Amino acid sequence: MGPLIPNGIIPHEWDSIIAILIGIVFGFVLEASGFSSSRKLAGVFYGYDFAVLKVFFTAALVALIGMYYMDYLGYVDVTQMYVHPTYLWGAIIGGVIMGLGFVTGGFCPGTSLCAVAIGKIDAIVYVIGIMIGVFIFSELFFLFQPLYEGSFLGNITLVDSLGINPYWFIFIFTIIAIISFVISDIIRKRNKKIFY
Amino acid sequence: MVKKKVAKVLAFRYMALAGILVILAGGLVLLPKYEKHEGIKPEQLLSNVISPERYITTDYLADKLVNQDPSYLLIDVRDEESYNTYTLPNAINIPLAKLLDEDSEMYLNQDQFNIVLFSNDNFHADQAWILCNRLDYKNLHVLKGGVNMWYNTIINPLKPTEDMPAIAFELFTFRKAASMYFGVAYPEQFKAKKVKKVIPKKVITVKKKKKAPAEGGC
Repeated sequence: MGPLIPNGIIPHEWDSIIAILIGIVFGFVLEASGFSSSRKLAGVFYGYDFAVLKVFFTAALVALIGMYYMDYLGYVDVTQMYVHPTYLWGAIIGGVIMGLGFVTGGFCPGTSLCAVAIGKIDAIVYVIGIMIGVFIFSELFFLFQPLYEGSFLGNITLVDSLGINPYWFIFIFTIIAIISFVISDIIRKRNKKIFY
Repeated sequence: MVKKKVAKVLAFRYMALAGILVILAGGLVLLPKYEKHEGIKPEQLLSNVISPERYITTDYLADKLVNQDPSYLLIDVRDEESYNTYTLPNAINIPLAKLLDEDSEMYLNQDQFNIVLFSNDNFHADQAWILCNRLDYKNLHVLKGGVNMWYNTIINPLKPTEDMPAIAFELFTFRKAASMYFGVAYPEQFKAKKVKKVIPKKVITVKKKKKAPAEGGC
């Protein structure tokens, strides 16, 4: 049956509308869980708040486990899911740049927009910075193009590239997640408590 | 007192949630695996089987070939020897045994052409048709009667007797003209000029079908 859009159960024309609805809910949840504070995000790097790590790791896990159960029961065909294409070096370098921006600014692109919505000045500056970055990137795209389009590996997943059973992978991934939660909790307790 | 009890229970809430995650993930590993139904659904296959679009007649195909309709891709599923002996103009040879090869997929799994499968009769072509349908390939047709029917109707059409309706004569005229197009010479033609028409083999290139990806991302 699913996924709904590729199988034509929901027409393609609804893409943008659904995206807006999901975006609103996503933004609301981000704001409600306090992710629009740059201190909360920076906490991951300074070791006083690991909420971001826990939330996103858990979200990925719940989605992954849920998806594979739905696949098992025949509601969703995992092989039809959209897999984002991998451009290896582009992803690595882009990830490093984004990580640096993450630590220094304390926002990810999503949370920065959330914070703009509630009127945080640092987030407004941050978003202007993003815009400038986008502008520079677009203007100098011919320089970045080989990196941007190079080392293309196709629409691969970890399961494909490692060649392991997806079910075992999910199980191991879950264990890794829980261990990382425990470790992050230990780190947080060792750190001085910061109130913000 | 009650609050304390609640707090005591709630102290374990993260452990409990972690436990649930592990159990669910472990469940996926332990669930008995079953072979998934690959290809299209039986109902879909049935509706394809009984669809009138499944077969095309030799007359229809001859008309398309004479008019050089570029949207038809002929695929000969007989073996290579028969293919080399005689085949329809511009047909591509994909023997039934090699139907599932990677090279064959390029021709079969696309939506630019109407594919016409044929063999000597329509037996092997039908088998190829079913297999390709199960794989959800599009625009597949079978030449009714195959090469034999082609020979009996187009190449060597039966002259209608005088008591037959006019429509039979029209059909005969069409078939005769078509056979001339495909290189059959008739005695009355000989007196005029003997020109063997050579139809150049077209090279049919097939673009791989692109799947339109749904965009996603953070």
